[in-house]
Amino acid sequence: MLDVGRHPNIDLLTYSEVEKVEGAAGAFKVTVRKKARYVEEDKCTGCGACSETCPTIVPDAYEEGLGTRKAIYPLFAQGIPSTRTIDPDYCRQLNGKKCGICAKTCQADAINFDQKDQVLELDVASIIVAAGYDVFDPSRIPEYRFQEIPNVVTAIQFERLLSASGPTGGHVDRPSDLAVEAEIRELEKKEKKSAKALARFEEKHGEDSETFYGKFQSGQYDDDDHKKWAEKYEAHLAIVEPLEAMKKRAASFAPARKLAFIQCVGSRDFRFYPFCSGYCCMHSIKEAIIANEHEPETTSTIFGMDIRAVGKGFEEYKIRGGNKSGITYMRGRVAEITEGPNRNPVVIYEDTKERKVKAEEFEMVILATACAPSNGIIELSGIAGFELDDYRFVKTSPLSPVDTTVPGIFVCGCAESPMDVPESVAQASSAAERAAEIAFQEDEEKEKAVA
Amino acid sequence: MSKEILVIGGGIAGMQSSLDLADMGIKVHLVEKLPSIGGKMAQLDKTFPTNDCAI
Repeated sequence: MLDVGRHPNIDLLTYSEVEKVEGAAGAFKVTVRKKARYVEEDKCTGCGACSETCPTIVPDAYEEGLGTRKAIYPLFAQGIPSTRTIDPDYCRQLNGKKCGICAKTCQADAINFDQKDQVLELDVASIIVAAGYDVFDPSRIPEYRFQEIPNVVTAIQFERLLSASGPTGGHVDRPSDLAVEAEIRELEKKEKKSAKALARFEEKHGEDSETFYGKFQSGQYDDDDHKKWAEKYEAHLAIVEPLEAMKKRAASFAPARKLAFIQCVGSRDFRFYPFCSGYCCMHSIKEAIIANEHEPETTSTIFGMDIRAVGKGFEEYKIRGGNKSGITYMRGRVAEITEGPNRNPVVIYEDTKERKVKAEEFEMVILATACAPSNGIIELSGIAGFELDDYRFVKTSPLSPVDTTVPGIFVCGCAESPMDVPESVAQASSAAERAAEIAFQEDEEKEKAVA
Repeated sequence: MSKEILVIGGGIAGMQSSLDLADMGIKVHLVEKLPSIGGKMAQLDKTFPTNDCAI
């Protein structure tokens, strides 16, 4: 990533979208809209002082909704470029409210609320489409109850939980526990505020709230000021009591140690995508191995029709996971997920070895979601004119796997079909070579003309 | 006549293509929809089968 950011031959156009493609191979004219970040790229040093002081808290899409960010933000900590971006949907100033705190904080004077989108015209010889994929939305499968049961998460959410730079610092904390902890923080803030209000009354009347309230109830006071105090005290109790109960519950929270992974969520399913996404078996094994490395008592059960470990070193990885990392491979498709006691998901499945339908409780369930064609690719195919296949991946042919239907436009990565990282890298180099041929062809033609 | 190439998407595939082309001496314009490059792979903790760090 860093290499891309500082390569002198790479012009990095982030927060930008392609609007128009004209011309043909060797001479494309492309219009790119560089969206306003409201932060001057050449001034911003990426220090992050603005994000610290910004008062607006927004759910973080990068953390898959498990964490929060501010309205002025970096996509993630090590993001390239490090220039901050103001989210126009949430920023108070841009939505007509009074704010501008980031502008006051910024020492580099980089905040510019009047910044406009820039439209750039590029002349290029060829184009590479590496637009990627979307993660399948598992709430489309009602029997898995994603979002209804908090401890059912997607593989990419689980990846963020495992990450040391993620919202839990690498601990596999259950989302139901995280929600309670967030509520505690919220109530603590309220408690602090109401305690301050009570302290003012206590100082004024020289009496602590509890003894006052006892006297108030026995009818000693009935003036307005004391009535107000009593109301405040009642409100305070209404905060403190549930807060204490929640804190007691939170004391017993522990990271999830019994995990279930469910394969083929959205893929190999004729209701959604009939194809195999290819990499999900491996990422479930990987996540189970890493979880076991973090907490050695962790056990995982991977439910799948079969485990497809096709690749160099993959089968060995699968066997190692079974032998050393507490993974059990269970053949069968999960019929349903329900919620049991202690917010534990219950997986209902058929054990195909014993020919029995079973229900087993887990602390967390991870869904291996399909590699879905990206939504943006439809728009892009309309703009650039290349065709898509039946599933909406970019159409190619077996003998020219990186050529789209438009000469001079090439494709690589998951925009072409589901594939893992090593395959994406190999295909990317292949597409680069095909695209370079066109750029160099022109040179040769020019040389010939001169000769 | 130009010797420049456009790459759409700044994930692992787009970054690899861009670096290969840039190393050949070709000027690359890398367009990414989000504020930073990295794509889905930047969200990953480790990659299989070597458990190498994704970033």
